[in-house]
Amino acid sequence: MPGSRGRTGAVRTQSPSEDPPRAPRRRRRETSVLVAIIACVALVLVGSVFPIGAVLGTALSPQAWPRYVEFFTSSVDLRILWNTLALGVLVGLAGTAIGFLFAFVQARLDVPGKKVLHLIALMPVVSPPFAVATATIVLFGRRGLVTHELFGLEYDIYGLDGLVFVLSLSLFPVAYLGLLGMMHSLDPAMEEAAMTLGASRWRVFRTVMLPLLAPGLAGPFLLLFVEAIADLANPLVVSGDYTVLASRAYLAVTGEYDTTSAAVYSLILLVPSIGVFVAQRYWLGRKVRTTVTGRPSGTVHLITSWARWPVLALAVLVSLVIVALYGTVIVGGVTRVFGVDHTLTFTHLREVLLGVGQEALKDTTLLAAIATPIAGVFGLLIAWLAVRHLPRSGGWLDFAGTLGVAVPGTVLGIGYLLAYRPSRYVGDLEVLPGLVGGSAVAGGAVAIVLAYVVRSVPAGLRTGTAALSQLHPSLEEASKGLGAGPLRTFRTITLPLIRPALLTGLGYGFARCMTSLSTIILLVTPGTHIITSQILSAANTGRYGVAFAYCTVLTALVLAGFGIIRLLVGRTTTLHRVSGRYAR
Amino acid sequence: MTDDTRRGRLCLDRLTKAFTTQGREPVVAVDSVSLDVAPGEFITLLGPSGCGKTTTLRIVAGLEEASSGHVRLDGDAIDHLPPQRRPMAMVFQSYALFPHLTVSENIAYGLRTRRRGKDEMDSALRIALTSMNLVGLEHRSPHELSGGQQQRVALARALVVQPEVLLFDEPLSNLDAKLRGAMRAEIRRIQRRLGITSLYVTHDQDEAMTMSDRVVVMNKGRIEQAASPADIYFRPATVFVADFIGRANFIEIVPARVEAGSAAVNALGRDMTVAAHPEVRANAATYLMVRPETLSLTAAPEGGIGSVLRATFHGHSVDYEVETGAGTLAVTVPGPDPQRLLAEGTNVTVGIDPARAYVLVKS
Ligand SMILES: Nc1ncnc2c1ncn2[C@@H]1O[C@H](COP(=O)(O)OP(=O)(O)OP(=O)(O)O)[C@@H](O)[C@H]1O
Ligand SMILES: [Mg+2]
Repeated sequence: MPGSRGRTGAVRTQSPSEDPPRAPRRRRRETSVLVAIIACVALVLVGSVFPIGAVLGTALSPQAWPRYVEFFTSSVDLRILWNTLALGVLVGLAGTAIGFLFAFVQARLDVPGKKVLHLIALMPVVSPPFAVATATIVLFGRRGLVTHELFGLEYDIYGLDGLVFVLSLSLFPVAYLGLLGMMHSLDPAMEEAAMTLGASRWRVFRTVMLPLLAPGLAGPFLLLFVEAIADLANPLVVSGDYTVLASRAYLAVTGEYDTTSAAVYSLILLVPSIGVFVAQRYWLGRKVRTTVTGRPSGTVHLITSWARWPVLALAVLVSLVIVALYGTVIVGGVTRVFGVDHTLTFTHLREVLLGVGQEALKDTTLLAAIATPIAGVFGLLIAWLAVRHLPRSGGWLDFAGTLGVAVPGTVLGIGYLLAYRPSRYVGDLEVLPGLVGGSAVAGGAVAIVLAYVVRSVPAGLRTGTAALSQLHPSLEEASKGLGAGPLRTFRTITLPLIRPALLTGLGYGFARCMTSLSTIILLVTPGTHIITSQILSAANTGRYGVAFAYCTVLTALVLAGFGIIRLLVGRTTTLHRVSGRYAR
Repeated sequence: MTDDTRRGRLCLDRLTKAFTTQGREPVVAVDSVSLDVAPGEFITLLGPSGCGKTTTLRIVAGLEEASSGHVRLDGDAIDHLPPQRRPMAMVFQSYALFPHLTVSENIAYGLRTRRRGKDEMDSALRIALTSMNLVGLEHRSPHELSGGQQQRVALARALVVQPEVLLFDEPLSNLDAKLRGAMRAEIRRIQRRLGITSLYVTHDQDEAMTMSDRVVVMNKGRIEQAASPADIYFRPATVFVADFIGRANFIEIVPARVEAGSAAVNALGRDMTVAAHPEVRANAATYLMVRPETLSLTAAPEGGIGSVLRATFHGHSVDYEVETGAGTLAVTVPGPDPQRLLAEGTNVTVGIDPARAYVLVKS
């Protein structure tokens, strides 16, 4: 074994071709992996574990105890809990259904325009959280263009219905992508077998495809449930007096300056979030069984009968709503008052690009641009360590890395407040200045970048893990066998092969940074301007035009970010796996 | 063995399938394949990987649409019928058992889609379970079965609907060698008993030779020969078939006379009359095909027509390579006599048995 080989000059001269380079590299390997582990653990501790610990510490401290009694005896508070769970369940159901619809159209229908539908379905991923919410109010609100002007309805979208509508449309892409992947991985031979046994297409769908996908539906449902109950941005805009835990905790911090109550609400919100997250990870995370043995074979038979048209019509209807909403955002940004006065104007855009918005654009882009590569590197590093180097403890590292999204953003923000607002002293010596609040270092920028990183790491981590587990270790072993160290192997073999995954991870990471609000809103100071918090204040003061202009510019920035990442990291190359037998 | 009043006469009429992928040359996977299958006949499609066997089978099943040509069943064209309306059943290489259903639900699937009554269904199911030796496993999930059991469930699921035509796509390739032998016999036994017309895809020539009434050898999308296993072996239509099935020696000859399916040739210094392919012409250079185990070797210290180049001892046989004026010949001596093993370099004469040699066309 390499470890037992000597490193003496004698060995070097004896077999110059093989032994000498190995021994020292073996030593370097230990160091490089160790350094990587330490860096990842440090990030996870500082970025999520300490803040969450601070929330738990406050929420479980003796002065917080009476608050639980209050909570579970107060009908107002219980109502908030109920509201939150109802919202989660409804969004989970609706979002999964829409995602399923789009995935089914994409994977199984023989219809034109599928590429367009795909792009429309991905639009919510790159847009800020308020875009849909604000446009919804303008189109379907009390004075909504569609509801009031067009149909003369006195419809009030604020509340549960509006929240479900907005959140389902914003979040369904996650379900869509997940279900699309699942449908693609179904062995087509299964459906062919059913067909040759006399089953009609409808029967195949009902008795084979649906039951096979059913266990896989729980994943997206739970994901949407967690995202919905954690969301802060949309409740702040469209909830009306429908209060949920996240907005209640936010109010406790920003309106009542009551961090103890905030911590208590946070803990109550954490329970279902983390519970679902853990459940999903350990029960549903197991591979959905799709085939029994043998290699997948056969080809997918697209539906060509008339039945495809009603299904397509449904998807097109949803797409039209999405397009209408985003159209409103774009047009609303360049009209005086959308829905009332449609005169073309550039005052909103000017305010955003040249006026007070300029600072925000600069700060946000800069901070996100700093955070994205850091998050990308850490995401991949954790994935690489967990998949390849830490067979046992890797699961924990992976878990901790994913905490950034598993924990609701508001809770994380409150954690940062609790953990990093006060300066830390050892004796009289200030060892860690406050990172959050008015007197924070760099106007709170450090904390904001840290929050960005922590919230974006999971994107790189997920895609990285998926790519790495597909990549057969033999490729890396071959490289190591040729005398390359682990870091060199990672750089020269692994990295190029998982570059597409890296690209996706970085892209989503950047989008996430630029569009995130729930954590950041608690960390902004007068010294830092963040676009999303500017949009919130514009939307809440009824200046929808400015909000729309911000959304448009922000979306453009995110798309530009995607483009730049692609330029920097290189063009997407698909992984062509070379295997012995061709599989159809 | 087959009679023409029974149902299940399958006819492939100039089937052609070209796959077109955008931006690439179309791949002609099946090229004008015509074949008549008698009711109850067991036909294997045999050929190297990528020769179009699976594609042919899938066209018959209705899972792939032919670019041109027709499939007829009992005289009626069924090209327009979707797979679920064809009275056929298919056994997939991956078995394609439904993982969310139990063994009996899997087997009953085809009965349910055909809306059979409960009593009929129960009895059909019981017969299928018994005859396929699956009793006691009814309530298991497919993934709780061994490979052989899964294979039997797949077979039972196809048989229970009493199809007119059974289609198999390499159904045994996921089993180990021993089980494969047993399943071969099993499939053949049941197929004979029920008399179901069968189309069986394989690339294992042993499987094809032992199971089939007729073997169809395919190459590059075309049928090279469709004939009984014995004819395929002893009277291959083309050099490809002779080479693909077993081992063969080709000796260049020029037949002096050809008449009534036989040719007068001179090979290895001997005149003889040998069966010949109908397209063989007199005075045109062609090949005499002889199988290694039909040749005989005799030591000939003086003279002889060649010498032993290499001898490989297998126990049950010895393989010799013999250098002759007609090229290097492979000779297999079965059940060798320990006293008469020939050392390398020995001068020998090689004897051809004209009854087991064949003259084929040079393609
Ligand atoms: N869906 C498809 N698209 C494009 N080409 C295809 C498709 N299916 C098959 N082919 C091509 O058609 C040819 C015949 O394929 P087919 O699967 O029928 O071969 P096969 O004889 O069954 O081979 P094997 O023994 O490897 O299973 C191959 O060259 C294959 O690449
Ligand atoms: Mg095949």
